[in-house]
Amino acid sequence: MSAAVICTDLSKTFKGGVEAVAPTSLTFAAGQTTALVGPSGCGKSTLLRMIAGLEQPSAGQITIGGQPPEETLRKANLSVAFQDPSLLPWRSVRKNIELALDLARRPKKDDDIDQLIRLVGLDGFAETRPAELSGGMRQRAAIARALSTKPDLLLLDEPFGAVDELTRQQLANDLPGIWEARGATTILVTHSVSEAVMLSDRIIVLSPRPARIVEDIAVDLPRPRSSDQARRPEFGAIVDQVFAALAHGMAETLPKAAQ
Amino acid sequence: MTIATPAQRWPVRAGPYLGPILALVIWELGARALSDAFVLAAPSAILIYLSDNAALMARALGVTLGNAAAGFVIGNLAAIALATLAVVWPRSDAMVRGLALLVFCLPLVATGPILRVVFGPGPWPQIVLAALAVYYTTLIPLLVGLRALPTGWLDLVRSYGRGRMAALIHVRAMAALPYLVAGLQIAAPAAFLGAMVGEFTGAERGMGVLTIRAMRGMNVEMTWALASVATAVAVLGYLAIGWIARLFMADEPPVILAAPAEGGRKGSRAFLTVLAVAAAMIAIWWGGLRLLNLSPFFAKGPWDVFEALFLAPDAAATRSTLANAMRETGVFLLPGYVAGLAAGAVLAMLVVLFPAISGTAMPVAIALRSVPIITTAPLVVLILGRGALGTVVLVAIMVFFPTFVACLHGLRQAPGRVMDVMRSYAASPWQVLLRVRIPAMLPAFFAAARMNVPASVLAVTVVEWLATGNGIGSVMALSASLSDYDMLWSSVALVCVLSAMGYACVGLLERRVLAAYAPEQLA
Repeated sequence: MSAAVICTDLSKTFKGGVEAVAPTSLTFAAGQTTALVGPSGCGKSTLLRMIAGLEQPSAGQITIGGQPPEETLRKANLSVAFQDPSLLPWRSVRKNIELALDLARRPKKDDDIDQLIRLVGLDGFAETRPAELSGGMRQRAAIARALSTKPDLLLLDEPFGAVDELTRQQLANDLPGIWEARGATTILVTHSVSEAVMLSDRIIVLSPRPARIVEDIAVDLPRPRSSDQARRPEFGAIVDQVFAALAHGMAETLPKAAQ
Repeated sequence: MTIATPAQRWPVRAGPYLGPILALVIWELGARALSDAFVLAAPSAILIYLSDNAALMARALGVTLGNAAAGFVIGNLAAIALATLAVVWPRSDAMVRGLALLVFCLPLVATGPILRVVFGPGPWPQIVLAALAVYYTTLIPLLVGLRALPTGWLDLVRSYGRGRMAALIHVRAMAALPYLVAGLQIAAPAAFLGAMVGEFTGAERGMGVLTIRAMRGMNVEMTWALASVATAVAVLGYLAIGWIARLFMADEPPVILAAPAEGGRKGSRAFLTVLAVAAAMIAIWWGGLRLLNLSPFFAKGPWDVFEALFLAPDAAATRSTLANAMRETGVFLLPGYVAGLAAGAVLAMLVVLFPAISGTAMPVAIALRSVPIITTAPLVVLILGRGALGTVVLVAIMVFFPTFVACLHGLRQAPGRVMDVMRSYAASPWQVLLRVRIPAMLPAFFAAARMNVPASVLAVTVVEWLATGNGIGSVMALSASLSDYDMLWSSVALVCVLSAMGYACVGLLERRVLAAYAPEQLA
């Protein structure tokens, strides 16, 4: 069962006074994929980490399906795919997936794991250790691990950041179908505009640090989407809209920084 | 392009063996040339002695190995338990480190006689000393290993709502395995050293007992045979643990001698931590004596030591004796310590500047790092006499090997990309050394310098005790034999506190130097 995420007046200021996220209120609808887009270092990962319960907000509150994040964590109902795949080097792909199931206290079913490995295109690599996989394959293994616990909330922090353009396109084509089929609420952090348009139902454009919402854009393109769609005018129009919002955010923030 | 032919390859393959073979030949020839001086036994004479006295040596070796093995297990289990506590309950970290350092700074020379009185003539003093000699060398790499992992792995555990214990079981334990092996490799010879020092203090059997007998009888062959066996056992222990580890580990064990430098706690917080550690140490000392219900004649508590040093009628005389002894010890200790550090660092730089010699130097140095140098103290006394030179040289040798290995490791850890930049500007080897390699070496150098403070204190006190009759080592030996337990416990407390202060001072200097020359190296 998917869960809506509601952030109310959420903000984060690190020790030393660096304000990463300005007071922000936003709702992530249940079962939707929402992309957080913004320039590097704007605070999108911090926002995601606060939702994941890995970072404490300085002010404001978060609820996931009406519960505080701690409750979702306690029930292991969320999964995070980090920018770095964070696979344990001494475990094979299968064992890395099993680790997530162990940590989440879920039963380990070989058939389910095999199916997941096939879904992410790692058939034949189940017993391979991370050092023997390419960057894209590691990323897929990390996504398979994140999906293995069938979470209500899936958080993806630039999951394709470390892979080449071709693999990135292939992952963007293949993976949304998997998490959509599972009905999870998905929040995706990325600085790639086309990736955000390709993968999400909604894009929230954030300003340079401290992050605040510049524009909330609905992506009402039909699914499933493929790389061919990226060449269509309606796709390009949304890309342009996101770029314009990013430029607007920059223009508003930079004069303030100069002062 | 030059292609290596089989004929070119063999000297490269033989490189690691050439050094030891050459050393053996020089040793044999030197001993034959100096046969009238009664200082040096030739390898052939040692082999003959060992074959003639095989049964005696085997019995002694068996006893010492048994004690060392028991101490190895106990000490390492204690280290693993303490490291686990510090990681699972991070608030205890400063306390665990502080207490562990203080206990590590206890002078084994004085702890031995005290344990002998507490435990009697059995094997327990040797076992406890072996455990005390190993736990710190395992604890420190283990603490580093349990923490030296990508934050993403810990975030992964936390993202599934699991806590520190799950992180320890699923992630930290395996990640720390290479570091644990590195600690165990150093611990194996250290356990042998601890057991031997324990046997110096009145045991009935073992290698330490034979060493004392050989020294008193001026038996050159026996002294050299014992030192050779101790060295061989230590090196074999070191190599065996490495070999076993390689069977199930992909990575080489890292070279870690001490905890990396930290930014340092500020002002009042640091002071409060020191006070808390001191208070805990005093409470453990006092509580331990109460718990064991030992005779107050020899079991002196914190108050007894305070009384002996400040309130008793002869307090001034006691303080004066200790101050004179410490002055005598300092005169030998400081030059040996500085010389050992300098020699280790300079030789490591030479090896880097002239890589041709590293093929031979490195395996020998790694093997010799594991030698319990203190067991060779009688040899140094035989060769250099009972004067200042022998003591200074022994301290320097004790400090030299760990410093050399650590510095070589540090020099070779210079970042590859920065080295590429230097090469692209055709920088000379000297420029690369000065601008890149030495800053990269500094943390390893200071780590070795810190860990060598207690090690050099152990070396100087053992030589003073066994040979020179000067300094605090001699005061401790004398007060143990005269049952002057006030003086003995006061010496222990003083040496322990001064060693810990020396460790802290090197740490302070380290932070200053790193802040100025390699700020990125401060954790």
